[in-house]
Amino acid sequence: MIRLENVSKVYPTSTRPALDDVSVAVERGEFVFLIGPSGSGKSTLLRLLLREDVPTGGTVWVANWNVGRLARRRVPRLRQRMGCVFQDFRLLPNKTVGENVAFALEVIGKPRHTVRTVVPEVLDMVDLGGKADRMPSELSGGEAQRVAIARAFVNRPLVLLADEPTGNLDPETAGGIMTLIERINRTGTTVLMATHDRQIVDSMRRRVVELSSGRLARDDDRGVYGTVR
Amino acid sequence: MLFVWREALVGLRRNLTMSIAMVITTAISLGLLGAGLLAVRTIDRTEDLYYSLIAVQVALDEPTSADDPDCTTPVCRDLRSELERDPLVASVEYESRDAAFARFQRIYAGQSILQLVRPQSLPATLRVTMADPLRGTEIVDRFTGRPGVRNVVDQRSTVADLFSFLGSVRNATFGLAVVQTLAAVLLISNTIQLSAFTRRTEVGIMRLVGATRWYTQVPFLIEAVVTGVVGAVLATGGLVAAKAFFLDRLLSGRLLANTIPPIGMSDVLGYVGPVLVVVGTVIATATGYVTLRLYVRQ
Repeated sequence: MIRLENVSKVYPTSTRPALDDVSVAVERGEFVFLIGPSGSGKSTLLRLLLREDVPTGGTVWVANWNVGRLARRRVPRLRQRMGCVFQDFRLLPNKTVGENVAFALEVIGKPRHTVRTVVPEVLDMVDLGGKADRMPSELSGGEAQRVAIARAFVNRPLVLLADEPTGNLDPETAGGIMTLIERINRTGTTVLMATHDRQIVDSMRRRVVELSSGRLARDDDRGVYGTVR
Repeated sequence: MLFVWREALVGLRRNLTMSIAMVITTAISLGLLGAGLLAVRTIDRTEDLYYSLIAVQVALDEPTSADDPDCTTPVCRDLRSELERDPLVASVEYESRDAAFARFQRIYAGQSILQLVRPQSLPATLRVTMADPLRGTEIVDRFTGRPGVRNVVDQRSTVADLFSFLGSVRNATFGLAVVQTLAAVLLISNTIQLSAFTRRTEVGIMRLVGATRWYTQVPFLIEAVVTGVVGAVLATGGLVAAKAFFLDRLLSGRLLANTIPPIGMSDVLGYVGPVLVVVGTVIATATGYVTLRLYVRQ
């Protein structure tokens, strides 16, 4: 589903590469934690997958798209098949919860009656059934993140990318978010989640890919956050 | 599609003062353009009106004018037939000295100048109506100084001042319209950039969710188009008001009555209005499109 072949990324303003010859493959339906200290290249990797940036070397594959070579006008098509969740939620501030979720369907041109039936379903799934008319500013962090997840999942993406989705949440709320992401993974959606949260990684025992200074440092099936020395 | 309209309205409301400035500037520039177009129309009509009346007058000299009620002297007959054969000439009419005197008496009835003028002071004339009123000078050149001719006058030159006045009114309004349009274009461009800047996070999120560039930018374009259309409607309204409260009175007043034909409501609503809507829309759309292409990268 995701394949990186010798991918490098050098930002013009920096001498050290953000990613240095990274190769990694993620199969359909896998759940992968992407870990590493700040500046290790996690966010860069996610940005390359979303085509917010293009690699300076190597090839990035998502499904059958050669992401780095994708024509500009085809980028929306790629993003419509990927869901993404961020630490800072990134909800549209002047749209209600329901409209935020509906937006992901509107941009792919789903007819209005579909939107009207699908949005409440997804909101129910994330336990926000009664809050469709709230504004994002009225939500708690956990609720906002659940809206973001609903938006990411509503058009059944091939891949769910999550960039420290629990970074701003207390452990209990974070646990709820992880349960949701796992549930989405069980529907067959590939999940790639960048995180700093040792507790979550250790408790879930999933595949762990670790980056260090832009290089692939570790790739363990059923791994933990860090080996204690 | 509902989405983009809603976004555009939100955008216009968010920068309300800016939007108002944008609409006013657009309205003024389009209003000036409209005034210029009306001036052109009026000039054309005035010219039509005058050209059907004016002629080249070939005044005959004293011996030829005397005692010739219907152009039977050889000199007059020759001049007349030469004029009639000329392809530039539509028709020739002979006005004898007596007829001229009669007309003079009619025009100046009751005025003291009548006491001074004798028939002998008026020449007989060949009134030449031109096929092409603009080429009267050629007749003037050809017949001036010919035997039997006192002088040749192209009446067009006497109304030329009026036309040149109307022409400068037209040029001035067009000139102002161009300057004002430039201001409107810059203002629209600026407002779109501002609008796009205040919404850059939002647009960024939309793009991440998979919205196309088109989808996120159309609202800005619609903002511009709405400005253009509203501006054009206001401009047309302004012209209607100017016509009703100012021009109608001016043109029907003592000074200019029957000098310049009046401007009809159909000229404003049927001709200038639609032109302004089209021009306003095209300029606003083009400005919006170019701005988005050049300055809005998301």
